[in-house]
Amino acid sequence: MRLAAIAAIVLTAASAGTVIAADTAASGPMAHSPVSFIACPVYRDTNNGRKSGCWLATDMATGVRYDIGGGRTKPQIGRDVLVEGVLGEGANACGGEILLPVHVSVLQTTCSAVMLPAEGYPGRVFQVPKNGYLPPADVVRPLPPGPYTSRDWHIEFNFQSDFLAYQYSEVILDDAARYIRASRPRHVEVTGYADTSPYVISGRQLIEPRSLGEQRAKMVAEALLRLGVDPGLLHVNWHVDPAAINADDGMAEPSKRRVTIHIEI
Amino acid sequence: MAVCVPLATSLVGVALSETSARWWAPGADQILPGSLSYADETGVITILNLGAPTSTRGHPFFTPLGPNGRACVTCHQPSDGMSLSAATAQARWQATEGKDPLFAAIDGSNCPSLPQSDKDSHSLLLQHGLFRIARPWPPLEIDGKPVVAQFSIEVIRDPTGCNSDKVYGLPSPHPMISVFRRPRPVANLKYVTAVGYDFEPKNGLPLPIDAKTGRRMSGNILSDSRAGTLEGQASDAISSHLDVHGNSSAAEIKTILEFETHIFAAQSADFVGGLLNEGGALGGPVTLAAAKPGVLKSSQHPQWEEFDGWSKPGAANESTSLQQRTFRESVARGAALFRDRTFLVSDTAGINSMNFGNPTRDGCNFCHNMTRIGMDLAPGQVDLGTTNEPHADPQPDLPLFKLTCDPKYPPHPFLGPVVYTHDPGFALTTGKCADIGKITIQSMRGLAARPPYFSNGSARSLRDVIEYYNRRYQIGYTEQEMQDLTNLMSVL
Repeated sequence: MRLAAIAAIVLTAASAGTVIAADTAASGPMAHSPVSFIACPVYRDTNNGRKSGCWLATDMATGVRYDIGGGRTKPQIGRDVLVEGVLGEGANACGGEILLPVHVSVLQTTCSAVMLPAEGYPGRVFQVPKNGYLPPADVVRPLPPGPYTSRDWHIEFNFQSDFLAYQYSEVILDDAARYIRASRPRHVEVTGYADTSPYVISGRQLIEPRSLGEQRAKMVAEALLRLGVDPGLLHVNWHVDPAAINADDGMAEPSKRRVTIHIEI
Repeated sequence: MAVCVPLATSLVGVALSETSARWWAPGADQILPGSLSYADETGVITILNLGAPTSTRGHPFFTPLGPNGRACVTCHQPSDGMSLSAATAQARWQATEGKDPLFAAIDGSNCPSLPQSDKDSHSLLLQHGLFRIARPWPPLEIDGKPVVAQFSIEVIRDPTGCNSDKVYGLPSPHPMISVFRRPRPVANLKYVTAVGYDFEPKNGLPLPIDAKTGRRMSGNILSDSRAGTLEGQASDAISSHLDVHGNSSAAEIKTILEFETHIFAAQSADFVGGLLNEGGALGGPVTLAAAKPGVLKSSQHPQWEEFDGWSKPGAANESTSLQQRTFRESVARGAALFRDRTFLVSDTAGINSMNFGNPTRDGCNFCHNMTRIGMDLAPGQVDLGTTNEPHADPQPDLPLFKLTCDPKYPPHPFLGPVVYTHDPGFALTTGKCADIGKITIQSMRGLAARPPYFSNGSARSLRDVIEYYNRRYQIGYTEQEMQDLTNLMSVL
């Protein structure tokens, strides 16, 4: 079942994309429960050093304001966001229930650009992303040693996007390319997926175009080529509506918007 | 043979080259020594030539290779930090009554179709230090392949007449778009070509590889990144600025690259602050030439740490005047402000269009993040707003284009599907709406020797640069902070 169907039952919509009320407000958020909604993000300028600002969004179905700034993609004021997250734990540094992990996709639809002052909230301290950085280009790194096995890598994308997100995608691509160069597999299969089954979140129907799987696959293939993978090994495919996978952050829906790199030794 | 090594005078402790050698004329027979110093607006610019001595006789950097009498050195003068200031252009007009090859019709005038003896036909070069750059339409990629333009282009205002010209403009059999840009300095090129990291975060892909050398290309050459290598840049410049038809000689290109990759330029002294490598500071070109390029600023490698010594107790001694000490402390504060003063970076394509969010709070060195040089390791294609409306300052002398994005492509992330611009910048290389108005962040070295600033010369002074940022991002600098930042930029 779609998360959206669990998270919000839309009672009324005065116009397309406008959610008036939902029936889940009384229960309130529970730790580790999945949440997905579309909202107009609010930036709180905590003015507490670089990248210290907070991103907040209110799920209109429940009236709960969430801290959505912990993901790899930050919102843009004046643009709606699709928020998919899990209620996490931690200090309230921004003025909202913390969603962590959280995926934020910036949508094309516009909304009011709203900024708040710090109001006593300290904001976030910038942290190195979970899967880290790549070292500088001149750092000599030996290729991974054998024995080698057939294996997969998954790269997730934001909704309706083929952008390879910084401080996330490059680490996976680098790891895959180095393993491929070391293991010399029989072939490398790059498969792009788009989530083309329509579903409703916050009263709005969401669907990805079929062509997006191809675009995503070609982006990843281009990246692998630029990282020295033998073009003769690459097989590039694209499909729609994949099954969710056990993504490393436990978020099933965003994992459908992915590219899988599979190597056969 | 004239040799400019004998020194006529000295200034704040730096020996200056002879005044008569200030203009390096194409085709002259001279020796470029290991070090050359010239007075500029705020102090002394010094050029280091690590390949010295270099005889200019027959050297392709100094010799006219085509029919217009131009050489590379025409627009890359040592006294101007290997670029060319508007003031130098005016001086050449006066000295030659406009007959210097600098004013060649091809790009040293507002349009080749204008009467070339008329001073007004060269107003953009004389007043703003701008050269005409003719880009093909539809655009060509970095390797010269045609790309599908995601936008159409209309000429809204054409004060030079060149974009509407039947020979040189969009209506011509070979449609061209004329934009007007400042020449980038031919110096410190190991920084310009440095690859700090394999990936380009602005598009998520690894940096492209030069098929000839197998090396990654930095993406930081030229304001629109139309050349990926120094070789490509030299070939482009020889055919366009020097008006040479046909392929350049491989030997000439090799000699040019050998020369220019050994050139370093930086301020070495300030009229008030004195020598920039005294009192605990490490300014000047020697440190710059010796340092490792492609280093990302960090707590271990703070940006402009060269001047941190001037903030420390004991930096001054009994020979340091109050005025000198005050200036040096201001420079050190400017360096700290550059690193630590944060503000909301907003609506800036190439920055906020990544996954950082819009706005995002950060400082000057968020983008100017390569140590020693202030370029962007990313690389640096950013729409700061200097060429795109509504952020651009009024520039009635420049053309204005209306770019309308095809609905099937993503629009400009912050300006929407219709963008008015004086210079589409990087979009003339990629054809992408998202790249309209992006200009590659350039070197911050030797600034005092080569006003005006920004790619379109819209900032007449370093103070104007700071004021533009202050307006654009509503930073709220105090008067003292603006002076500190101006002083910092004047000693780079």
